[in-house]
Amino acid sequence: MSQTKHIEVDQDFIENLCDEFGNREGTVVQILQRIQEKYGYVPADALDMIGEYLEIPKSKMYGVLTFYSQFYREPRGKYVLKICVGTACHVRGAGLLVDKVKEELKIEPGENTEDMLFTLEPVSCLGSCALAPMAMVTDTAYGKLSPDKMLGLIKDLESEHLSASEPA
Amino acid sequence: MVKVFVNGVEVEVDATSTILKAAEKAGVAIPTFCYHPRMDPAGSCRICAVELEDSKRVVMSCVTPVAEGMRILTESAKVADARKTNLELLLLHHPLDCPVCDCGGECPLQNMSFAYGASDSRFESHRNDEVEDLKSDVLVFNSNRCILCGKCVRICDEVQDVHAIGFINRGFDTVIGPPLGKKLDCEFCGDCLEVCPTGAITDKFVRYQYRPWQLEKTKTTCTYCASGCQMNVETEKEAIIRVTSSEGEGPNEGSICAIGRFGFSHVQSTERLDKPYARSFSRLVPTEWDSVIPEIAERIRKIAGTGPDRIATLVSPRITLEDAYLIQGFTRRVLRSNFIDSGARYGFMNAAFPIARATGTLRPMVDHQDLLKAKVILVIGADPTAESNITGLFLKRAIRKEKARMYYVGSESVSITARAKEHIRVLPGGEGLFAWVLSEEIAGEESSRHPEFLAKKEDLFKSFNVDPQAYTKLVQDLRESPTGVIITGRVFHRIQSASDAMESLLRMTNALGWVEKEGCGILPLPEVGNDLGVLMMGATHEWLPGLLDSQDPENKKKWEATWGEPLSYGKGGGLKEILEGIKSGAIKGLISFGENPLTHFSPNSEVREILSKLDLLVSVDLFQTSLSDQAHFLLPAASSYERSGHVVSVEGFVQALNPAMTYWGESLTDGEIVSRLAECMGVPFATRSTGEVSKEIFTLMPDLSPSTRNGDHFMGPTGNLILPTIVNQPPHKADRKTVMKRMASRAENWKSAITPIQPEIISGEGDFVFALNKSLFHSGKMTLLDPSLMKMESSAFVRINRQTAKKLKIKKNENVLIENSYGSCILPVELTSGVTENELQVPYHFDSPDLMGLFPGEINYSGTCSTVTMLRTRVTLKKIE
Repeated sequence: MSQTKHIEVDQDFIENLCDEFGNREGTVVQILQRIQEKYGYVPADALDMIGEYLEIPKSKMYGVLTFYSQFYREPRGKYVLKICVGTACHVRGAGLLVDKVKEELKIEPGENTEDMLFTLEPVSCLGSCALAPMAMVTDTAYGKLSPDKMLGLIKDLESEHLSASEPA
Repeated sequence: MVKVFVNGVEVEVDATSTILKAAEKAGVAIPTFCYHPRMDPAGSCRICAVELEDSKRVVMSCVTPVAEGMRILTESAKVADARKTNLELLLLHHPLDCPVCDCGGECPLQNMSFAYGASDSRFESHRNDEVEDLKSDVLVFNSNRCILCGKCVRICDEVQDVHAIGFINRGFDTVIGPPLGKKLDCEFCGDCLEVCPTGAITDKFVRYQYRPWQLEKTKTTCTYCASGCQMNVETEKEAIIRVTSSEGEGPNEGSICAIGRFGFSHVQSTERLDKPYARSFSRLVPTEWDSVIPEIAERIRKIAGTGPDRIATLVSPRITLEDAYLIQGFTRRVLRSNFIDSGARYGFMNAAFPIARATGTLRPMVDHQDLLKAKVILVIGADPTAESNITGLFLKRAIRKEKARMYYVGSESVSITARAKEHIRVLPGGEGLFAWVLSEEIAGEESSRHPEFLAKKEDLFKSFNVDPQAYTKLVQDLRESPTGVIITGRVFHRIQSASDAMESLLRMTNALGWVEKEGCGILPLPEVGNDLGVLMMGATHEWLPGLLDSQDPENKKKWEATWGEPLSYGKGGGLKEILEGIKSGAIKGLISFGENPLTHFSPNSEVREILSKLDLLVSVDLFQTSLSDQAHFLLPAASSYERSGHVVSVEGFVQALNPAMTYWGESLTDGEIVSRLAECMGVPFATRSTGEVSKEIFTLMPDLSPSTRNGDHFMGPTGNLILPTIVNQPPHKADRKTVMKRMASRAENWKSAITPIQPEIISGEGDFVFALNKSLFHSGKMTLLDPSLMKMESSAFVRINRQTAKKLKIKKNENVLIENSYGSCILPVELTSGVTENELQVPYHFDSPDLMGLFPGEINYSGTCSTVTMLRTRVTLKKIE
């Protein structure tokens, strides 16, 4: 598993975010979500900055950050492969999908590929049991998967990434 | 009021109280883990379960309110079962490593397990085996032992308002610790350590070094600041192992700051002086008391024989009332001198003198309870948390729980500024002007208003960046509020116009009608432990004991009658006049009791040279200091952990010091040293015990009899509440009626508007104001020798405004060159949005680099009392490439 460098947090972005939400009860989760939306995770530096602008204690924010499993404290891949391992998907072979990804990308659940393209994240239920076994990448759901289809999906995402990074 | 029955005992309690409080009143002990009297109840540990007889229900007593006729059983079979089950669950993951746990022997969890016999469990246990968090130099977090009662997190939030630790993760994985896996970074008050009911938080300095039951506890008073914290100094074989506090006891109610809790190691270091030294052929050589006392006495006799006012004394404000009383007696009766000054005067006298003149007393008008009653609190030029930590805590409580509106006036931000309703920034130099304008605005009537008023007010807004809106808001709130307290502190007392500014505030307080009511008045924060007591005892040239004018023949007569001998001292003076006297040759001897005049002045000044003219320089101290280089005699003093006596707190409590260890080496108290000298010189104030001296003081000045805060809650060994017994004692505060009368007569002087205060011109050249402030982790210079406190703050740094640093491209921890024509120094940078853009703040304690070198050689004196104050100078700032 690779340990990539943390992202440098954009101070203006945080300042705007803080202005938008202000120091009110219950804004911490929303602020953290917005940060994660931008960076894919919540960098520690961001907490420092928010703490200073909004005077929300860092200990409080860190408590919230570690309480919810939706938040990540380490950088994650461009494509997070959320493979459902809930009951319905499990009986229809979700385990095989996870194994395929592990084998293909040489990563364990929760880890990133070295090029920071993929993250494997088995999740409990994505609410589309009719499509079992299914997975979700970014905001797109992929249903009735098989290990081969999973492999195809990975290849597709790789080429999507390549074409996106090629100069126009 | 409602009637309830606790185990059949009928008690009447307030309708809003909880079952736990009702049980306390009934004298019934209910164990608790998560409950804490000074915090909101959490109801998380489930150990305070009680049974309601009528409904047969088990409820948590700490969060359940009482109801009329409620029948509560605290020891029924059902309750025992509930508590035992609870303990079983709590112990499921506990490592049960009591044999090696520092908490073993004083652990509520252990005590409870023993009481309920929760030795075997019906559940499969799984011992936690997480590694300890050893990153902090001060505290160790052991999550395995933690029962997640949350008291540490809550005391840090609710009482200290520091928020340094929190809950991390969720469910079984929850641990307590500082955020982001970083090293603990906080005020290190150690309150979390004190409230932890297990060994989850332990003291890293003494880990594995003691068993609690082998320690001998001595209750005594902390003398670092004037909060008057009651603490337990715990010793083993004459060595201090740790300092703890008892919940609910004393003015501090169980909280102590970092300095009080951890700053004791220096008194048992090998650096301590253990023998008297005398100079022989330019070297200080160890000698014996039996030879050194007659030698000094002989030299005193020679000098003092030539006339009055030939020898001066300097007195540390950390000594007891008894010692201060003896030293001033020695100075006036034996040395026949009124040249006496004290650290208690430097700065603080600028507040004390006008207050004593206006109110007739130095007993404070307000105590911490008044803070809780005040609707508005105005903090001017003070950092209560650093200067008088417990005042800071009560201020935070007043804001948080009593919804007091706090206005903070000053250039910089301190930890409490964030809680202010309004932080009114005044650029350095404008504080005195602010006090005058504010007072004139409120106390001056339109017709009699000082003609310069409007111009000065304009100046305040224009030259000192005061926000007119915030100012107007403050004025309005002050006028409308029925109660209010003004807190002034070190910066305010050390500005050039300090005593006039204090006079302005007194005038304003009187005009607002803030004298006669509870929750009203001025609270000046002393700088050191016994500032108030030392002044009350007359260790200052202005006053004989009891604040009597030292030059008034009537007062002289009074003390002559008491002491049974004529007093023939002269006019005398403070440090300013002492130095002038030495320079002119009029003063030939100086005896310094724990003071070091050199530290108050710039090395550019001629103070060292002046001191070299002395025929006799005696330094009584715990350690060798820069003064020792010039001293003819260096005498070892006992520390405050070794003394008995009394000290006066910021609230006016006269509390006892009790010796936790015997005198270090051959050291003696200052009082014993002067008694021996007096005896040797044949003057009839013979050597007496401290107890006898206390008796004399309390008989002659009966209003000074010992007093302490009557607690409103205490806690037992299983976290149970114990109802405190109220002890009758003399009042610690000034009598409001008497003060009111005095103030009313003083008000005549204030009717015709008082002279405007000019803004302060800060010496030096450059764009930046360099200000020396008090650190949270040090008290004077002595704590620089304390290894524990040095772990918290080990060297000087400069706090710079974040925007300024951005402009100059200076990053955190980079070194900057600070310079003016007097000198220069290099310091690492700490960034903050707290200080104004052209201000640099540095803790004053550290000797290296020489911060005083940036100050001019001419000595700055402030206030009408000419007290020594080195506060600010102008400098330039450069980044070091």
